[in-house]
Amino acid sequence: MTIPTHEDQQQAKETLAYIRRTMESASTFTAVSGWGLAAVGIVGMLAAWLAWSGGTPSDLRVWIPAAVVSITIAMAANAAKARRLEVPVWSGAVRKIVGVVTPTLAAGALLTYALHDHGVAQLLPGTWLALYGAGVSAGGTFSIRAIRAMGVAFLILGAAALIRPDLGLLWLGVGFGGLHLGVGLDIVWRHGG
Amino acid sequence: MGSSVTDDLDRLIHERVRLGIVAALAADENLSFGDLKTILNTSDGNLSVHARKLDEAGYIKVTKGFTDRKPKTEYRLTAKGRRALEAYLDQMETILSVARDALERS
Repeated sequence: MTIPTHEDQQQAKETLAYIRRTMESASTFTAVSGWGLAAVGIVGMLAAWLAWSGGTPSDLRVWIPAAVVSITIAMAANAAKARRLEVPVWSGAVRKIVGVVTPTLAAGALLTYALHDHGVAQLLPGTWLALYGAGVSAGGTFSIRAIRAMGVAFLILGAAALIRPDLGLLWLGVGFGGLHLGVGLDIVWRHGG
Repeated sequence: MGSSVTDDLDRLIHERVRLGIVAALAADENLSFGDLKTILNTSDGNLSVHARKLDEAGYIKVTKGFTDRKPKTEYRLTAKGRRALEAYLDQMETILSVARDALERS
């Protein structure tokens, strides 16, 4: 082989770096764990059933532990998928998603406290669904379309729950249970786990 | 590039957008048009043109369908495309390896 020129070497280095960056970006882009999301959906369904059994749709003794368990499952499942895909667990895209979603979740926590404290707990399902939808649809900008679409669907469910608070538990079950489970299984099917 | 060292490179995937498409699909076996557009940060027209060339060469498989009545195009890397990327990576690594050997001898 002819000895490569300095320009050839630089081009080869840049090309390999570009390939590595693109592959990392594609892997991170779909590194949302479908199995994790499906498991979160099952937790959502169980929480909705428990809240229904207890007769209090927005029972914080049910939904706060469910949120903690769901976040833990999602983090563990996403980390496991990232390790399997051999991409950084805390990549640039993941940092962006967390950075976008966290403020809306914090706003959700504040509103939960305020609405509960002022005795308007019937508005909690709509508030949770709408804020979660806002966070996911914004965070989904850095991920696959299914995540963005899921965020928009949560927003719509939030609107429905605010219009019909008497059906709040149904919307919670459909959103945190059904939507998570459906989109999770779709990701498993289309993006390998 | 264009020197004799790089004359043997697969011109089809040497182009930056096409290389990006193949690399992205090597990392994730199934990506939609919108996903690829976001990952590669390119325009609709640019992505369409380059994806068509890869499809014609048999490097990728294009599936067109509908989801909720909206057209949806999905891409997969074929075995031929994966072999082409592997060969291209080998060539890049060889360029660096030969250059390193030449440097050590000098």
